[in-house]
Amino acid sequence: MRGLTTKPFPYFIGMHSLEELVTAESRVCVINILGSESRKVTPVSHEYSGGNVVAGVQYGRRGELETAIGNIPVFRSVLDVVKNGITFDIGVIYLPPAAVSQAVWELVTYNKDLKRIVIVTEKVTTRDSRNIRFTCQEAGVDVIGANCLGVANVWDHVRVGGALGGDHPEEALWKGSVAIHSNSGNFTTTIAEYLKTGGFGISTAVSSGKDVYIHFALPEFLYAAQNDTRTKAVALYVEPGGYYEKQAIEWIQTRRFGFSKPMVVCVTGRWKKDIVRACGHAGAMAGGGDDAESKEQWFDEYFGCPVFDPEKPHVTKRGVRIASIQQFPEAMRAVYKKLGEKSDFRGTGDLSLKLWISDNLLTLPPGLSMPVEQALSPYDEQIKEINKQIGAKMMRQNMRNKSGASRLNPDSQVAELHGLSVLALSENTVEENIYITIAKVRPQKTDIKRINFLLNLFLKMDTGSMDDVENAKINGCRPNAVLAARIAMIGDQPLLVKIRACSSWMIDMIREYEHDIVSGEPSPALRREIAAFCFSQNAETVSTDYTGFLLKEVTRSMKKRLPLMFCQMVLVFSDSEKQPVQDIDAFLAASLCVCLFWNPMLEKRISRETVEDAGTYLYIIAQMAMLSVISRRENTFWKQLVQETAFHPGVSFSENLFKILFNRKPSQTDLIELQMLLGLTLTNGPGTISAKGAKETISARNHISMAYTGFLCNTGLAHGGNGFEAVQFLFEQFESVDILPGQSAGEIDLKALANQKAKAYRKYKSEQKETGKLNYKRIPCINHPVFKGNSVNIDPREDFIRKQLQSRNIHNIFLDYYHHLVRELHDEGVTDNVFCVNVDAVLAVITLKLIWQDLKQNKISLIQVQELAFVLFLLGRAIGVTAEIIDHRDRGQDMDCRTPQKDVAFVM
Amino acid sequence: MQIAGLKYGSRLLELVEFPVAQSLDGDASMEALQQMLDQCGKLVVKPVFTGGVGKKGKAGLIQFVNSLTDAMKAKEELYFSTHNWGSRRVRANGVIFEEFVPSDIEVYFSISNSTRKRKPIFTISPHGGMDVEALAPEQKRVVWIDPFIGIKSFDITNALVDTGCPERYISSLVRHLPKLWDLFDNYGFTTLELNPVRMKKQGNQFVPVACDFRAAFDQDNPSWRRLNLPKTVLQSELTPFESEINRLRTYQGQSDVLEMNPEGSIIPFMFGGGANSAATEMLGDRAIFTSDFGGNPPYEKMLGISRIVYKYWLEKANLLLVIGGKANNTDIFITFKGIFDALRDHMAQTGWKPVYVIVGRGGPNLIRGMFYAKDILDRLKLPYKMFGYDTSMIEVLNYAMKIDRWWTEQGQAQYSAKARVI
Repeated sequence: MRGLTTKPFPYFIGMHSLEELVTAESRVCVINILGSESRKVTPVSHEYSGGNVVAGVQYGRRGELETAIGNIPVFRSVLDVVKNGITFDIGVIYLPPAAVSQAVWELVTYNKDLKRIVIVTEKVTTRDSRNIRFTCQEAGVDVIGANCLGVANVWDHVRVGGALGGDHPEEALWKGSVAIHSNSGNFTTTIAEYLKTGGFGISTAVSSGKDVYIHFALPEFLYAAQNDTRTKAVALYVEPGGYYEKQAIEWIQTRRFGFSKPMVVCVTGRWKKDIVRACGHAGAMAGGGDDAESKEQWFDEYFGCPVFDPEKPHVTKRGVRIASIQQFPEAMRAVYKKLGEKSDFRGTGDLSLKLWISDNLLTLPPGLSMPVEQALSPYDEQIKEINKQIGAKMMRQNMRNKSGASRLNPDSQVAELHGLSVLALSENTVEENIYITIAKVRPQKTDIKRINFLLNLFLKMDTGSMDDVENAKINGCRPNAVLAARIAMIGDQPLLVKIRACSSWMIDMIREYEHDIVSGEPSPALRREIAAFCFSQNAETVSTDYTGFLLKEVTRSMKKRLPLMFCQMVLVFSDSEKQPVQDIDAFLAASLCVCLFWNPMLEKRISRETVEDAGTYLYIIAQMAMLSVISRRENTFWKQLVQETAFHPGVSFSENLFKILFNRKPSQTDLIELQMLLGLTLTNGPGTISAKGAKETISARNHISMAYTGFLCNTGLAHGGNGFEAVQFLFEQFESVDILPGQSAGEIDLKALANQKAKAYRKYKSEQKETGKLNYKRIPCINHPVFKGNSVNIDPREDFIRKQLQSRNIHNIFLDYYHHLVRELHDEGVTDNVFCVNVDAVLAVITLKLIWQDLKQNKISLIQVQELAFVLFLLGRAIGVTAEIIDHRDRGQDMDCRTPQKDVAFVM
Repeated sequence: MQIAGLKYGSRLLELVEFPVAQSLDGDASMEALQQMLDQCGKLVVKPVFTGGVGKKGKAGLIQFVNSLTDAMKAKEELYFSTHNWGSRRVRANGVIFEEFVPSDIEVYFSISNSTRKRKPIFTISPHGGMDVEALAPEQKRVVWIDPFIGIKSFDITNALVDTGCPERYISSLVRHLPKLWDLFDNYGFTTLELNPVRMKKQGNQFVPVACDFRAAFDQDNPSWRRLNLPKTVLQSELTPFESEINRLRTYQGQSDVLEMNPEGSIIPFMFGGGANSAATEMLGDRAIFTSDFGGNPPYEKMLGISRIVYKYWLEKANLLLVIGGKANNTDIFITFKGIFDALRDHMAQTGWKPVYVIVGRGGPNLIRGMFYAKDILDRLKLPYKMFGYDTSMIEVLNYAMKIDRWWTEQGQAQYSAKARVI
């Protein structure tokens, strides 16, 4: 190859001066313009440069990229751009590394006007880099990069390539007389910022990249800087690896080209000579004589002076080397002084330590201690604003078929909620799990008392009538329909709105007046805030039956928690001012809710909105429990809990829930079985239709109560988890057998019973098959699509629960029967191997055990038992769905659950 | 990513049918060794190091043997021999027995990329067997290569003639050496070096035989995977920490780490190649590792990286440093969220530990990121200082080192006694 050459170089260079590198007339085409990085960076460059991006390429599709000064047309290929009559002279490549060389060839092939290519992509292979160089040298095209942030011509207000100067290039890139060439993209901007503090602006900034091949390297940069009338000095940032700098110096010294402007050079990376593998910039690893110390020596010899010493600033007219980048302003000032030149403008400050944000935990010794200073504008204002923010902030995204709350563990196939498997969750009490679904962490001991208090109180705070529930049941509504209708009617009732408003106000006040609250003495400003929010003249100040309970609770304990300290401060202030707090119940309930979830919010586990909505979640769950009573007229406990004013704060929500569902006082074993039942049904992953119902409702921007309604509407008898069929199946097997399900089988031969059933089932199955009826009735709750194929199969979830029960000496005859049954089915040749007893069986056997005596004594009908099984499933899942609702509200977008048109089909 | 020696080098050379000295692994049977001795007369015994360890000859780690007894003795001596290579002290794990090829010349040949010529080059000398840098200019030639054509035969001929290679060898060298470009170009090499190539007489002809091999690979070029080298050959260069982080590596970088001093006291999250270079230099052996997490890593990646970092180092670290210049594109909020979410979760799982946090950073969403960190650190009751980009990064590093010293000497103990353990 003969190749093109441009004097004085033995290779091609397409410019004479840095001014020409990129100009106001440059027309840019960005490849992969809609990629994640380019989509953010290109509009900023385009707007900063006054609209220099004339086209973009997104392979295979057309469109537009929106910018504030007009949209950039997007084409399918470079050829498509050219065919549409758009001319450009600079290509910018944002593709993944494997595609970069292809794009270079495409640009060179189809665009005869092409002058330069800027390659932003990192980790382009050395092989592709050398091929790119040969291609572009033959074509007469300059390349900047790869692995760079491009070029900025500050005088022309033009930025091409990557994100030099970040989102606000004008902040860092001030017009001036220094040209920057930096091996680091970040340092290109950082050096510009540092120089600004010394009064120096930028003419042109080049982020060269630091791959093995630097296509726009120091020799041609210095040559172009010499010919640039705007540039008086050069700032260089250099890393080890490569002989570009040595070559530039040699060529200057041998007068291959003239260079008379001073340079301030920072070389870093001495440590890299000791490593055998690149870290950071590829190609920076030293080998041979191009390590950092060698480079320092090259420059020191060229400058004729040692490294810059701020104490004794000695420089020559050729410049000086500095030990660290913070010395750029000082060294540049010394160089300008030597030349008799003035800086470009008044310096903007200095680079000394300026503490923006600090803890107040420790007193540091002198020399380390320093005051917090006001941050630069606009950051000072941002600090004020953000200081008010609290809680986790999730990135909004399309949450269709996604969840940040639940998943099915791919290894164990066990569902997890907030990282805890349902097996682990099934060991928690119901109230603990309710707390976890909201807070994402386990509650502390005091939290459990508080959540019990709130849930039990919310059981009572219903405003509706139960008559419509009765009517719905008469009309054949299933439990989910009844609950859905009533929960939907909760809407966003005033109590919940008020709790939310109070919670929000409290969080603001605590954030703003934390010091006052801790000191126990409200400042005048805080007093004014309290008076304005709590003591409205038109306030509804009526105390209710619940006010006394709430007051007792908020004054009881947990004084260390800011929300309660603040609540108590408000109450004291209210007393002293003789002004009653308006909406006192909501205010006190909000105080408890904020207190409950304060720590998870501070830990950024949950969002502020979740804390504000916590009252709503707890209220709805409590209401669902209240509405789940099977037969309220016979249930004395329900009447006491819901209708009477008496309140027993020491009783757990689990116990009350049990009483509502089973109309009796639970034993410890009963409570354990209830928590297992509900724990296991919390979730089966985000793909379940129950979760989808909630998510889709949120996606349509409904109230929280409607999200629960959505979930309820998406449940039914098809849910295996409700154990509906298994209850009936087991009842049929044991209807005529005298058993106590909680005791060991004793004289009852479960194996014989199971064998009898297996034989009967074999006969039934055979008959059905013979008559061609393949849709014959299956035995419910055995076998599983995943846990199968072995000679003996086990569902690990069922196995876990069974062992848990065994370890607590809790018997369940129905479960034992199921295990006999799967073995007998195999022994009788009905199944090829021993099927697993799946986790749904656990739900059925526990339910049936808990209600067996009532069923046998005809206190409850089989239909009601089946209804109860369904209700248990609904309650467990409602708790789990709470996590999905919160997650979707935090992360999702409006309408994100709709199915894209491309995924829907019309069928005949 | 480097390899040296014929253990794997011979496999690579066979891909392009370049002749290579016969060799046997250290675990070869006595019978096989005796057979090779019978055939070759003399063997070369070399220790096997993983990675690109060189200059074994100079270190006296190569032995020539002509009997089975001597071969076994050499094996015993060299099997776990140690070698100072660069700044590292490395230990062998095995030996290789290679055929000794009698030859009256030794040829040096390498292919690499030249930053002076900005082209691929080959370097050739018929005076090989020693460091190429030690050769006089007239004894070697450096010739650039057109990457779309490869090594041209006439370039080799001219170079060998110019450097005084005996004519009887030129033809066979010209026939075989251009094949090496295929190996170099197609499998992600950045350097390929054969030194020495010895001229083996076969009948009336001479065949160039590679008697040693060194290569470095481009870690950004996945083509080397096609060589099917055992993973251990290249991964052995990585520490378990580096290896775990490396699994998160993508073409966008964002997860470059290099373990520096496991006994160090500072966990440095560095952002950007420049910050990586400058900060590592400043921190010296206080830095447990050096890193470059720049390039706008997504949250999941930053979280994953941070989890691994804490798993390995938080227990022994005094100071957590987040350092970078004014980011152009990296979202500070996203990166800080990843770093500090992982810190919170790690402490929740493994227990609280007093660690000082210093931040020096600029860029998009800076204040949101800093306040995100602040809230978590407040909750964890960990002390911190955060500086913006109007403070020099170097000043922040200096300050961090002072804090690290004070924290190590007294601060941490004082604070631990005072702080409520969470």
